Amino acid sequence: MIEVENLTKRYGEVYAVKGISFIARPGQVTGFLGPNGAGKTTTMRMLTGFTPPTSGEACVAGFDVFKKSMEVRRRVGYLPENVPLYRDMSARGYLMYIGEIRGLKDRRDLAEEALERVGLSHRADSRIRTLSKGMRQRVGLASALLHNPEVLILDEPTIGLDPIQVLELRDLVRELGRSHTVLFSTHILSEAEQVCDNVVIINQGLIVAQGSPGELRGQLERGGRVLVRLDVTPEQALPTILDVPGVATAQIAMDGIVATPTDPQTDPRPEIARVVVSRGWNLMELRPLAVNLEEIFLELTRHEDREPTPAEEAVEEVEA
Amino acid sequence: MTDHTMNHAGERSGSFQTDVKTGTAVPFWAVFKREFGLYFRSPIAYAIAFAMLFFISLLFNAYIGQGNGQFPADSTYAPGLLTFLTFLIAPLLTMRLLSEETREGTLEVMMTLPMGDFQFVLGKFLAAWAYYTVLLALTLVYHLILLSIGTPDLGAAFGAYLGAWLYGGAVLAVTMIWSAVTEDQIVAAFLGAATVLVLYLADAASSWLSASSPGLAEFVRELGLTAHYDATLARGIIRPEDILYFVFLIIGALFITTRIVETRRWRA
Repeated sequence: MIEVENLTKRYGEVYAVKGISFIARPGQVTGFLGPNGAGKTTTMRMLTGFTPPTSGEACVAGFDVFKKSMEVRRRVGYLPENVPLYRDMSARGYLMYIGEIRGLKDRRDLAEEALERVGLSHRADSRIRTLSKGMRQRVGLASALLHNPEVLILDEPTIGLDPIQVLELRDLVRELGRSHTVLFSTHILSEAEQVCDNVVIINQGLIVAQGSPGELRGQLERGGRVLVRLDVTPEQALPTILDVPGVATAQIAMDGIVATPTDPQTDPRPEIARVVVSRGWNLMELRPLAVNLEEIFLELTRHEDREPTPAEEAVEEVEA
Repeated sequence: MTDHTMNHAGERSGSFQTDVKTGTAVPFWAVFKREFGLYFRSPIAYAIAFAMLFFISLLFNAYIGQGNGQFPADSTYAPGLLTFLTFLIAPLLTMRLLSEETREGTLEVMMTLPMGDFQFVLGKFLAAWAYYTVLLALTLVYHLILLSIGTPDLGAAFGAYLGAWLYGGAVLAVTMIWSAVTEDQIVAAFLGAATVLVLYLADAASSWLSASSPGLAEFVRELGLTAHYDATLARGIIRPEDILYFVFLIIGALFITTRIVETRRWRA
């Protein structure tokens, strides 16, 4: 269980993380989704006891990360971004070393087991420097799994892996999620959708949305908004799109026009297509909005007129 | 590759087979063992040992030839040379201890394990000191040679070896501070050597000051390494204040190093 309440990290005048709150439940994989520099790594570093928060509270495995750092560290397995390892050691040696620092009694068996789990038993005695990037990633993961921790915090574990390894790792994370609390960061939406039971979207240190992947998709596609791109400038086409029956509002965004239908249940696309063609324009693109991460971010961060999510409302209340 | 893929859903249950039992963790001991072992796999450490032993052996050879029948066998010669050489040896032994951890990012791994920052620093320091102890022990061969050809003063030898051991520990602890400060090993080594030289030359500075302000001169002298070794321990005079000087230098330097390592948390 990870409970985060109004957690803030400030460097001088710059907020890396600005009053975020969320819960990651046991038996679930919680995805931490956001672009680079959103504050994912900073948050994870606060949760693992590496860096202290400026303000706010966080409880991991039932212990306050600031006041009971050692208790938290005993119960967390952490895979930092870029997977730092001692490259002069063998995979097994590295795990044994981590196990010894942790004071694990059966560290030989545990190392064996962790290596088997990540499929590295055959390279157990190879120097880490001779392993491929994907294998090193697995050594890092094995070291996080070594003591069978209650909570696993994985910072972008799939970066730098080949597609097959990515699939394997996602399977492993999903499987681990059944018996552990897993917090896992990524900037790939489809990954979060496939692996996570719950997704927290973070941008510029703020949580912009959270919920199950299904809920989020619904929330983001809410209103059945569509993106229209034509071979004429959006400015030129805007009045025409606004006049299309069934279109309530339309505005210029994302190199095109975003149209909102009057009735969210009715797809405005056939009508838009008909009108556009009748004007003699060519339709370059016509699709529902917010189907990939980039668009979700543009959606969530650019439009000032959108409804704030509960998390943001909370932040605004705190700031007010 | 397919034989060795990760075990995924279905192949294995979610929980581990081995029960995770934790005993009393002694993290600094684990760190010590790894770092100490590394010295025996490091070309730099071997180069230091070779250069030091070669240099001391040459000087000792000249010394023994010169001293034959002229003055009594003196077992404080070799450890005395070693203490002088620490300004070169210590920075090379400590330069990578913490800088490499910062640079490689492994510091983040260490600092999120259930281990206090001081334990980590202590393990690293003890490894360097232990390696230095091995070097010092190798110079005992000169004591044995002198024993076979003459009658060296055993009290002086004991004091000199004890002093050289503490002296080395203090110098290693001081140079390790720079390894925590910078990510660059070379910079750490140079700053370390400079710091040791300053502490070494305090004696010279003090004699320069003694004419104008004797009080200040005495203070500066007491701060330096030489005053607590050359005139006392190296002659077999074991004074508590000299031992305390080295012990406090070690503790103080380790404290400072730990604090600097801690600031990495705030900067991260």
